[in-house]
Amino acid sequence: MKSLSTNKTMSEQLEKLFVQQLKENQNIIHKICRLYTNGEDAHNDLFQEITIQLWKAFPKFRGESKFSTWAYRVALNTAITLYRKSTRIVAIVTYEGQKHFLSQEDYNHEEEDQINMMYQAVQQLNDIEKALVFLYLEDKDYSEISETLGISEVNARVKMNRIKSKLKKILNP
Amino acid sequence: MKELDLLKKAWQKDIHPFEQVTEFDIYKMLHNKSSSVVRWILIISIIEFLFWTLTSVLFNTDDYMHKLHAENLIIYFKVANGINYVVILWFIFCFYKNYIKISTTEATKQLMKNIIKTRKTVQFYVWYNLSMITLSFFTGLVMAYAYNPKMEGIKYKIAHESNHQTLLIIVGIVIVASVVFVGLFWLFYRLLYGILLSKLKTNYKELKKIDL
Repeated sequence: MKSLSTNKTMSEQLEKLFVQQLKENQNIIHKICRLYTNGEDAHNDLFQEITIQLWKAFPKFRGESKFSTWAYRVALNTAITLYRKSTRIVAIVTYEGQKHFLSQEDYNHEEEDQINMMYQAVQQLNDIEKALVFLYLEDKDYSEISETLGISEVNARVKMNRIKSKLKKILNP
Repeated sequence: MKELDLLKKAWQKDIHPFEQVTEFDIYKMLHNKSSSVVRWILIISIIEFLFWTLTSVLFNTDDYMHKLHAENLIIYFKVANGINYVVILWFIFCFYKNYIKISTTEATKQLMKNIIKTRKTVQFYVWYNLSMITLSFFTGLVMAYAYNPKMEGIKYKIAHESNHQTLLIIVGIVIVASVVFVGLFWLFYRLLYGILLSKLKTNYKELKKIDL
């Protein structure tokens, strides 16, 4: 009986630890949800699915890497492979939705426009390309990108260059 | 690329524009059910398993054998049944192993591979069951032909017909029936897993293309 109750408090502690960590790192997941969905409902839906998958994998997280680094992989994998709801409805990204990139005062109008156009272009990429760009924006190096996706480093680099030219084409058709 | 670097800079600032979820929200989410592809494959496999077990329970061959007075063959059917259960148990073991193996912490490509492998096990299981059913169907027919006294008239007709008309009609009906039967199942599974895995497959192809 006694060991049962210790187990219970241990799992409660684990849960508490997880909830705290997730709360502090939630912006990573929000960013991925924003990139992979196109509406508030789908965003919340994916957020929940990622949370469940993170929780399922949490016992395996040994703290060797940062919580955030570990969370990237689970969150991206969920968005790319496990998430079932269709995102096929063409993403009409409203200018309104991108407002958060504008809230800084250190950008002039022209730069604001460029940032927003770029973000809209990124949203037109396919799931795998989005993952590469996401990791790039998060300032991950190619060895980490290749490790996360399971492709070779050279190929990750080549692919990123192709994505850049694709983005250029989307911006200047 | 200037625009991408600008976006990167803005991205890195990590401002908090997203509606933040609270600890209470996260606790609530933890107790919700996952709707992931893997979970659906698992649910469908369990339903399939129950369905096929139920069919084998419902169609008790023993009664049929007694009816045909073919008791001397019962032992062979018992052995075949035993082998069948061993195979099914092996499949259950594979299902279980596959699901344990799927982990979101793997590299994306490996994870996709594992999910596709899992689905293949389910597919093998389905094909196994379909062939077993077709086989039993044929065995049943042959048995009925050999043992059922009602067939005497047809037997006589086949033996005394020079153009084999009756035989051809019977063989034709059997082939069409089994093709329709298996075909319907095939279509059903194609649709089911096609819908479930279409996105995964597209993304897997894309990843493989990069590594070519």
